[in-house]
Amino acid sequence: MTYRTFDPYQAVEALAASTRRAILERLRHRPLPVGELAKGLPVSRPAVSQHLQVLKAAGLVREQRVGARHLYGINPEGLAALRAYVESFWQDALKELKATAERQRRKRR
Amino acid sequence: MTKTVVPPVHASVTIARRPDDVFQVFTRGMAQWWPLHTHSVAADTFEGKVRAEKVVFEGRAGGRIYERMDDGREVDWGQVLVWEPPHRVVFSWKPNLDPVPPTEVEVKFIPEGSGTRVDLQHRGWERLGEEGLRKRQVYETGWPGVIDVFARHLSNA
Repeated sequence: MTYRTFDPYQAVEALAASTRRAILERLRHRPLPVGELAKGLPVSRPAVSQHLQVLKAAGLVREQRVGARHLYGINPEGLAALRAYVESFWQDALKELKATAERQRRKRR
Repeated sequence: MTKTVVPPVHASVTIARRPDDVFQVFTRGMAQWWPLHTHSVAADTFEGKVRAEKVVFEGRAGGRIYERMDDGREVDWGQVLVWEPPHRVVFSWKPNLDPVPPTEVEVKFIPEGSGTRVDLQHRGWERLGEEGLRKRQVYETGWPGVIDVFARHLSNA
C-alpha cells in the first residue's frame, strides 16, 4: 500500500500542475527511474523528484525497488479511486433524473 | 492500443418510464433535474457572487448545452454531437472555464421491461492529457479542471 486514505482533492490538486501531468503521461507505458524520467522533461531532476513526491502522496504514483534501482510507476489503485469519484458524481446526477422523471409520471396520472 | 490513463467513467440507472420520456427529460428537460445550485460554473467559479439561473439543452444535432447566469452571461458546457432520440445522445463536455479541450459523454436509453435503463459513459480523458502536454508552457490547469468540477459536487452532497 503506497497511500492510506484516498483524498480526491489531493489527487486533483496533484494533477493541477502541467509538469506532474507530463510525468504521469511518461509513466503510462512503464515505470522509470527519476534520472530517465527527468531526461524528457523541461525541469531539473530535483524538481522531478519533488513532483514525484506530490504524486506519490496523492496516491497516483508508487515507488518500486528493483534490485538497487528505485522506479516510479503509475499507481492503478489511485487512478481507480479517482475514477470511482467521478463515477459517483454521475450516479448522483442520474438519481436526480430518475426522481424527476418518475415524479412527473405520477403527476400526469 | 489505448493511451488512456483514466478509462471511461460509467454510470447507470433504471427508470420506470418509457425511453422517449426519459430521453426528453434527460435532454430538453435537463433544467428540471440538474443540481444547478452545486453543479454549475457559477457555483464553482464565482462562489455565490453570481448564480446559475438555468441550464439549457438544445435538443438537436449541433445544439448547445449552456448555463445562464443571473448577470445575463452564458457559459457553454458542450455541444450535441449525436442526436438520435429516443436511443442515444452524445455531447462534448467541459463545464468549466479552463482553457482545456472538452471530454465527451454518451448516453444510451435502453428499453427494459416497461421502463428504461440509462447508460452513461464519460470518456475522452486522454485528450486532456495530450492537449495539456502540448500547451504546458501556456496553461497551468488542464486535465483536473474537468475532474475538479465533479469533485466539488460531491463535497456538497
